[in-house]
Amino acid sequence: MKKTILNLAAGAAFLSAALVCPAADTVKVGVLHSLSGTMAISETSLKDVLLFTFDEINAKGGVLGKKIEPVIVDPASNWPLFAEKAEQLVVKDKVSVVFGCWTSVSRKSVLPVFEKYNSMLFYPVQYEGEELSKNIFYTAEAVNQQAIPAVDYMLADGKKKFYLIGSDYVYPRTTNKILKKYLKMKGIPDEDIVEIYTPFGHTDYQTIVSAIKKFSAGGKACVISTLNGDTNVPFFKEFANAGLTSENCPVVSFSLSEDEFRSLPTKDLIGHLGCWTYFMSLKTPENKKFVADFNKWLKTAPPGVETKNRVTCSPMNLSRIGVYLWKQAVEKAGSFDVDKVREAMIGQKFAAPEGEVTMQENHHLINEVFIGETQANGQFKIVKSLGKVAGEPFSDKFLK
Amino acid sequence: MTRCLSEILKRSQPWLRARFLPSLTVALLTTLATRADEVRIQLVSAITNENAKAQVALIDQLSTSTNSIVAQTLTTWRQGGVYIYEFSDDKKTPFFADTVTDADGKVRGIQISNGEPVRDASGQVVLFAPSELTAADTTSGLRKAIKTSLDILALSNPNPNVRRDSAAKLGLEQNPVYLNGFRAHLESEKNPEVRKALQEAIAITDLVSSEKSIQLTALKTLDDLRSVMGLDAVMKLETASKEKIPELSAEAAIARRHIQQHIAFSNFLGTLFRGLSLGSVLLIAAIGLAITFGLMGIINMAHGEMIMIGAYSAYVMQNIFLKAFGPGAAAFNWYFVAALPFSFLTAGLIGMLLERSVIRFLYKRPLESLLATWGVSLVLQQTMRVIFGAANVQVDSPAWLSGNVNYQDVVLAYNRIFVVVFAVGIVLFTWLLLTKTSLGLQVRALMQNRQMAACMGVRADRVNMATFAFGSGLAGMAGACLSQIGNIGPSLGQSHIVDCFMVVVLGGVGNLQGTVSAALGIGVTDQVLQPHLGAVMGKITVLTAIILFLQWRPAGIFATRGRGLEG
Repeated sequence: MKKTILNLAAGAAFLSAALVCPAADTVKVGVLHSLSGTMAISETSLKDVLLFTFDEINAKGGVLGKKIEPVIVDPASNWPLFAEKAEQLVVKDKVSVVFGCWTSVSRKSVLPVFEKYNSMLFYPVQYEGEELSKNIFYTAEAVNQQAIPAVDYMLADGKKKFYLIGSDYVYPRTTNKILKKYLKMKGIPDEDIVEIYTPFGHTDYQTIVSAIKKFSAGGKACVISTLNGDTNVPFFKEFANAGLTSENCPVVSFSLSEDEFRSLPTKDLIGHLGCWTYFMSLKTPENKKFVADFNKWLKTAPPGVETKNRVTCSPMNLSRIGVYLWKQAVEKAGSFDVDKVREAMIGQKFAAPEGEVTMQENHHLINEVFIGETQANGQFKIVKSLGKVAGEPFSDKFLK
Repeated sequence: MTRCLSEILKRSQPWLRARFLPSLTVALLTTLATRADEVRIQLVSAITNENAKAQVALIDQLSTSTNSIVAQTLTTWRQGGVYIYEFSDDKKTPFFADTVTDADGKVRGIQISNGEPVRDASGQVVLFAPSELTAADTTSGLRKAIKTSLDILALSNPNPNVRRDSAAKLGLEQNPVYLNGFRAHLESEKNPEVRKALQEAIAITDLVSSEKSIQLTALKTLDDLRSVMGLDAVMKLETASKEKIPELSAEAAIARRHIQQHIAFSNFLGTLFRGLSLGSVLLIAAIGLAITFGLMGIINMAHGEMIMIGAYSAYVMQNIFLKAFGPGAAAFNWYFVAALPFSFLTAGLIGMLLERSVIRFLYKRPLESLLATWGVSLVLQQTMRVIFGAANVQVDSPAWLSGNVNYQDVVLAYNRIFVVVFAVGIVLFTWLLLTKTSLGLQVRALMQNRQMAACMGVRADRVNMATFAFGSGLAGMAGACLSQIGNIGPSLGQSHIVDCFMVVVLGGVGNLQGTVSAALGIGVTDQVLQPHLGAVMGKITVLTAIILFLQWRPAGIFATRGRGLEG
């Protein structure tokens, strides 16, 4: 009995595939985000915004007349599995392009796959740079679009002492290495820079916070945080309880956006800073439309999409930008061929919610950069707009 | 302003509020309206000005005002409680929301310019729904200026902590214009902490004086006070005067050394306290396991989930209080007191169900109980995910658990002190229960020899159930306690279970004092190592040390002798 059903199912699948393929009115694209495991909280939102964007594009006729057909896989926050799933998308499903990855370690693990099969990946999350693959387009913030402007802002604010704290993995370590060099260039002596790492899931921040308290006792100190995930909760609780505030020692966090604030005690975060290329609180007409359309889409969203208390954030915005840039490049090239699309990609412009973005030859975007302060409602209030900054992956280019 | 006033009154006695609130408000409003017109105009233009620089200048001017409305307005503005009403002719007026809400939840706006309600063009009083209130913007620079003004005003605040912080802040600016203010306040100040802060502030400001004798006296003062706050300024002076005035530099070096010695001492005390507090966290989390695993011998992998359930119970209790009393109500601060017994009961009940349905069949098969309880832990995690969602949830700490006291420059946060006290309480409670009650006697009898105890009339079945429920309940209370210092999420238990087993095994299975000493030992060792090795290496070192220790003494610190564990 079971077998018959299976056979029937297979037959049906084959038939439908046979029916669909000749018509060829769809194009397959891969979605490679963890939907389970530790990263699921962040990455699920990116899957959602991608589905939203595909629907948006399909409603207007698709790409080159073809509807986008997403192939969603779940690499389950497991780095080697990312590579396997990527290979499956490229080889078995023959997708034209893949949107995905969050952590740098997942990107590093899929990179060889995309290079081997000459396929294409769009990567949307701020990262440490020092990498450039011809098969990856980085819509993400490079170090000079997030960390450097944030530090400049603190320096301009008169800060003289920097406490660098991060989770113990490749992104914080690389970023802090670059920042230390940069701070030294700006005349901050070694003894006024402290660099500390804690493991993922660390809960005891007493020692570190009491060190920060002494560090900042003489004034003019700030904290640059690359702490990831829920370790931010015990950190900020301890921080507030020690009597430290954004006025006597502000914290700039690079991994906290509106989406993360949904599960953080924002009351302890008020006044601390973030630096991104997009904030949900931006008042441009494009952004108002993006936020409204996304919320409208959520009402009719497919099952499994969380619909309550949703927000938009920079990685989500950059995911969507990636899809549109790819669409435009495909249309310019008149083909889905990876090499042709890659060529057409350079110089593509898109009217994004934050302003116009441009894809450069180095596969990074020219994008707006903003600095915002956290508000009690989990939104950022923009305190400084730095205008357009060209993303540059290699630190030796801007550390001169 | 009304809002601030009533805020003050809210904290006062109810009888006072009932009798005097209306008359007081009216009286104050009228006096302020007549006398303080100029200040009010200044305040309004500071809030509505479009130019950030001009705003800062206006706020600076306001800092000299002695009118109480200035401090109230600035404080409220900084916290986002000042709103803007735009008239149809584009004019703006800033206002506070009235404390009295009407039946629809709408409020009147009290204008800052004259203390009168906001009226529209036709003279009608405007009512605002909470969602219609537009807060007056502040930026970091603006809030800093407001803060500085408030700091100057705060030197005469009734709360000593506020006076101390503002003295420290202004002192660090090393701006001689504040000196007279400091001296004036120092003369009338009684609180020793604030006096110290004021003396430090004066001395730190004096360090930039052009006269050597003043600088020397300042150094001496900072040296005597062992001023941590002044260390940076002293070091700066030491290097700056090295060439020109070596004598000054030498004095600065002496002061610096003394302050650094004091910091070393304070760090030592701090490490002890932090070790104690981390040890207490471990102890609170592990004590339930010391009962279920230590005494009963069940390898209970679902122990972490009992902690998680306790934490979620605290969250539920918080929401109940929020619904019943509304946010910010004084009664809300006591939700945590209700949450402790509630989490004990919830986790205890689930523990009892678990014992009845799964564990009682597995008393003789410890390995199967390991797998079964692990399965249960997965089920419980998924259940919580279904009920509360996969994302973490938060509880707000009650006011009496937020904040800190300062002793010898060691910051003792209230929630940490609470954790230590709570750990002492919970251990005492468990110890009394095990040694002074008949249940305790029966538990110990069962632990020593199950069959024999049963023969002597101990109802093994029932005692087992009660003991397991008690152990689970303790874990639940631990969860409620841990919710005050960290995350609440479905996988909360996973991050504690390994530490718990580590503590119980290291202490010696079946031994309460072993659990206590192991928890405190691990806590203090971890905190001693952390500043030198960092959090990652510190943890690795502690784990390695534990493995080596267990090689040497496999039964833990306090080995239970005899036939304790064969049952």
